[in-house]
Amino acid sequence: MPITDGRSSRLYAHLWRWPMPVWQLLFFLVPLCFMVLMSFWLVKNYRMEPAFVTANWEKMFSRGYFWNAYWRTLGLAGLTTLIATLLAFPAAYALSFKVSETVRRWIIFLLIIPFFTSFLVRIYAWQVILAESGVINAGLATLGIGPFTMLNTAFGTIIGYLTLTLPLVVILQTMSLSQVDRSLIEAAWNLGSSRVRTIATVILPLAKTGLIIGAVFCFILAFGDFVSPYYLGGSKPPTLSILIIDTTKSGQQWPRAAVVAITMIVTLLTVAFAAVALAYRSRVRR
Amino acid sequence: MHNKTTGRFSTWILRAYIALVLVFVFSPLLASMVFSFNSDRFPSLPLGEFTTHWYKAVWNNDAVPEALRNSVIVSLCSAVLGTFIGFCTAYTDYRYQFRGKALYLGLALLPPTIPLVIMGLAMLAWLSRAGLSGTLFAIIIAHTVMCAPFAMALIRLRLQQIDPNLEAAAWNLGASEWRTMRSVIIPFTRPSIIAALCLTAAVSFDEFAVAWFVSGLNKTVPVVILEILQGNVDPQINAIGTFVFIISITLVVITQLIVMKQNKGHRHGR
Amino acid sequence: MGDDLVVFDSVEKHFGSFTAVRSLDLKIQSGEFVALMGPSGCGKTTTLRMLAGLDTPSAGEIRLNGERINEVPAHRRQTPMVWQSLALFPFLNVRENVEFGLKMLAVPEQERRTRAMDWLDRMEIAQFSERHIEQLSGGQRQRVALARALVTEPSILLLDEPLSALDANLVIRMQGVLTRLQRSLGITFIYVTHSQSEAFAMADRVVIMNEGEIAQVGSSRDIYRNPANRFVAEFVGRNNILNGDVRAQPGQTGHNQRPVPDDCIEVKTSAGTFQAAFNGQPPGNGSAVTLVVGADLASVTAAQPDTSNHVRATVISEEFVGAVVTLFMETDDGTEFKVQLQQRELDKLELETGTGLWVSWDVANTHLIQA
Repeated sequence: MPITDGRSSRLYAHLWRWPMPVWQLLFFLVPLCFMVLMSFWLVKNYRMEPAFVTANWEKMFSRGYFWNAYWRTLGLAGLTTLIATLLAFPAAYALSFKVSETVRRWIIFLLIIPFFTSFLVRIYAWQVILAESGVINAGLATLGIGPFTMLNTAFGTIIGYLTLTLPLVVILQTMSLSQVDRSLIEAAWNLGSSRVRTIATVILPLAKTGLIIGAVFCFILAFGDFVSPYYLGGSKPPTLSILIIDTTKSGQQWPRAAVVAITMIVTLLTVAFAAVALAYRSRVRR
Repeated sequence: MHNKTTGRFSTWILRAYIALVLVFVFSPLLASMVFSFNSDRFPSLPLGEFTTHWYKAVWNNDAVPEALRNSVIVSLCSAVLGTFIGFCTAYTDYRYQFRGKALYLGLALLPPTIPLVIMGLAMLAWLSRAGLSGTLFAIIIAHTVMCAPFAMALIRLRLQQIDPNLEAAAWNLGASEWRTMRSVIIPFTRPSIIAALCLTAAVSFDEFAVAWFVSGLNKTVPVVILEILQGNVDPQINAIGTFVFIISITLVVITQLIVMKQNKGHRHGR
Repeated sequence: MGDDLVVFDSVEKHFGSFTAVRSLDLKIQSGEFVALMGPSGCGKTTTLRMLAGLDTPSAGEIRLNGERINEVPAHRRQTPMVWQSLALFPFLNVRENVEFGLKMLAVPEQERRTRAMDWLDRMEIAQFSERHIEQLSGGQRQRVALARALVTEPSILLLDEPLSALDANLVIRMQGVLTRLQRSLGITFIYVTHSQSEAFAMADRVVIMNEGEIAQVGSSRDIYRNPANRFVAEFVGRNNILNGDVRAQPGQTGHNQRPVPDDCIEVKTSAGTFQAAFNGQPPGNGSAVTLVVGADLASVTAAQPDTSNHVRATVISEEFVGAVVTLFMETDDGTEFKVQLQQRELDKLELETGTGLWVSWDVANTHLIQA
């Protein structure tokens, strides 16, 4: 270790160490904590007043629409996670084992691009594509099928969620699959295991941690997204994220929005910890 | 043993599947570009005539120049601040061991896991207490929180490649710690610093949720898009989107080129 | 020569509960080529790093030119180092790397350039001055690292296993380069290595370290022929080591019923009873001692020799390095013996694996270590 004694050294070390915690404390942790505090405040005449009442919690938790939104969000995000994981796996498998490294790198680069393009614009494009008289239905009409209602349905919401999450899940799965030792797979083939069985008995267990991490990220993104359910799902019935926006933007009921937000964070933490525990446990067993 | 023909067949099926995934990912992007030059208000098949009408509409939209100015200011400031904070964190992680370091790194990398709506609400509530909500500062502050982890990750990856004795070698040759930072660490990490600036600028330039919560009247481009979207179907969005896409993609391509060159140089050095 | 350039005075270094260096006393004169040698974790690199100011002593004092330097930061010490990894700056070209130290001393640009080019010329790599580091071979990089460290004309150069990454042929060549450089500059070289051949080939004085302490300081010959303790005897390789206890003093009757000669004692080991010469006061009967016999000082014969130190052993394996053969042998009680001899001597013996032979050595060549 380099020497750290002497005045200039200590000043030097602190200069690099403190900017992050100071900034994140002031503008990340404190806002989150303040939100928790705020959930116990009162709103009178459209103004918040410091207090310590559990009224906001009781109110939200006793409302049917809150629980409807809760289970709906959980269900949609869970379903999306399942679909994204299943859809991504063949692609990630192919990227890991069926293309050259250069091709893999370029396709991963292509998959990164969407993260830096406006999600709103893409959702708007889906609105136009999925509309009653949109591109898909017009295409199907020439075949004499349809039209189908896709906009303002759960299907639309899930298309939006997948637009957000699928590239990330493919990337994360590919990263974990391509680290699987090829010689193990060849050994399995050599021992007469079929391709499908090799995937099930060799590749899946080895890549399990990566697959679970991909699924967790997918769940977090879908669970928190408000754009897909709003513009493709028709916002009714609302998800938790839409509930937060409606509660915040109309009516100034920030404390109640905070209750929804905290519920969401607790749910996400629970899911994430459960998933990490699952990934970890399966690793130990081996 | 495996039949060679079925093996090759399944390989091609799987490759076609990758293409299908790419089609799903890129179809909304391509569609919005195509629609931006399409005369129909409700584009469908067959496409209408070619037009630059929507671009002209954007050009004449009073909200856009203002929003663009705001977006540029916000993304430049958050990129610089976020990259500075990310650099400090990455260097601290690389160089120092201390108690509570896991917690320290946890704090540094946590923000991207919090849903944007929640981040927006928390920021709005807190910054309006501080009297900052509705200002560009509010957006810059929030975006810096969200950008710093990305900058930290990029710069830390670069520091991973440094010879652990390189700093000590500079001290040994008479450079003070400050001088070493200037003449060794910064030159070494320069590619990743530039990459981090581009990446964080792109992140900030596209971010709409938190910006929408805290911006008030000082809207950025994505917030304007969001508000147009809330109104009615309006192909102006496609025109703005295509324009924003070109800016973002330029930043991302620069980042990617830098990262690839840096990796190549590293492999070369082995 | 004659002045103590570097003094370590009861220096200690602890990392948490781990003691890397304990009560180190060492004086190094100017113009000396000193090698610090020992197994990994023996404290040799920590010692070097403390001298360079990269680690701070936990106790004791380090003096450079008579002045205490414990608190002097690394960048004010003028103790340039050649690193195992070389630590060349990858974003600078060859010349800029060499100029780095001069730049830190605020030498004007023109002079900087001239001096850097002089050194590159001296290291025979001037034609590569504008190249990037990654375009150079391992040996060329080594020369850049040397030029970079020496361009500021220091009075001391620290080298931390600088040759360990090179292949064997290049190591021999660089050893020559280093020895000539040190002689012509007349400055002190402190060379850390785990390789005996490097240390013995170049250094005026070798310091053997073990578990944070100095095990022995001396010339290569001293350390090879007169190891101060069992650790050194074992570390230096090709030695036969026998543990036992003293049974007879000079003049007393030995195990073969003959009196033990003057300047000799008799020691009983598990392999047999042998005589050893001693200097000064002989250890008393019953005290535990170790006998060390260099593999090159033992010989093998088919017939039982008429000397006091011999033992019957069976050949287990042979190792050939050029014309020199090492026989690995074992006695009935399992004690191992190594004997080095010339190929032509071996041919005369006509042996196969499993052949029984007599191993013998002179009493005068039996080095005695008192526990």
